Amino acid sequence: MFSKLDKSIISLISQDIPYVKEPFKALSLKLGIRQGVLLKRLKYYKDNNFLRKFCVSLNHRKIDYWHNAMVVWNIPEEFVDKVGSLMAAFAQVTHCYQREKASDWNYNLYSMIHGRTKKECLDVVKCICKKIGCKDYRVLFSSEEYKKTAAKY
Amino acid sequence: MCLRPRIKLSLLDKRILNFLQEDIAFVERPWQLIAKKLDIKEDQLLKTIVSLRRQGIIRRISAVFSPRKLSFVPTLVAAKISPKYIEKVARRINLYAEVTHNYRRNAEYNLWFTLIARDTKRIAQIITRLKKDKNIKKISEFPAIKIFKINVRFPLNCS
Repeated sequence: MFSKLDKSIISLISQDIPYVKEPFKALSLKLGIRQGVLLKRLKYYKDNNFLRKFCVSLNHRKIDYWHNAMVVWNIPEEFVDKVGSLMAAFAQVTHCYQREKASDWNYNLYSMIHGRTKKECLDVVKCICKKIGCKDYRVLFSSEEYKKTAAKY
Repeated sequence: MCLRPRIKLSLLDKRILNFLQEDIAFVERPWQLIAKKLDIKEDQLLKTIVSLRRQGIIRRISAVFSPRKLSFVPTLVAAKISPKYIEKVARRINLYAEVTHNYRRNAEYNLWFTLIARDTKRIAQIITRLKKDKNIKKISEFPAIKIFKINVRFPLNCS
């Protein structure tokens, strides 16, 4: 589906870019192609939803978003779609997924919440609770970040 | 407790970071375009971006692809590890290039990491290898069935 060139572009642009006035020119030189070709391919990926976003990735701890809570919920199968959409509507929820359960892990909906304090995260959880009326959930705060990096393609 | 690095961001830093968290355009001079919107000079914007990168506030500027659309397979894995060995095991897990995030969390499953691999076979291979680690008591995969939202954004208060 993708050419060799596409693969090189995707692999390069999914890592950090050069901090220069014309970053795409610098990247195109690395790839040995014209800047126009690179820009066209990037727009193609974006327009066809291969590429979600081209943006900055922040170290959230350094901008005071110190806490991240992964909240896991046990939601009856028939309500998952409705509840998932409700959770997604919260600005503080950055990720929301339905996932498979395990024999010792009876939770199927995951929502990630970032906040400046634990209380800020828990307040959002409370808000969601009120809205969806689910009491079977757990809040897993992260206590250590061992790795956070871009995907390597 | 952990030390919280105090970094004082200026109002301009915050405005810039809010803008850079939105889609950056694929044009020859992307900073010029953003600088215009912020009503500052392109040079000043670039200089600030470089400084924010140097301070580690910006981790990177890069394209985020949808792994599935590129025929890659993302998944979430959790492991139960005795607290004594968790750092060691986490470091070992991090050696896999496929591991993108790895967090310690407060539950029986105390280590949670995400993988983006070229196929399900590779994921199975990594999990099988980790299962042999005596320090890992249990390891489970929680693949996604449905995505409701992915929108990582940290709004910085500019008022």
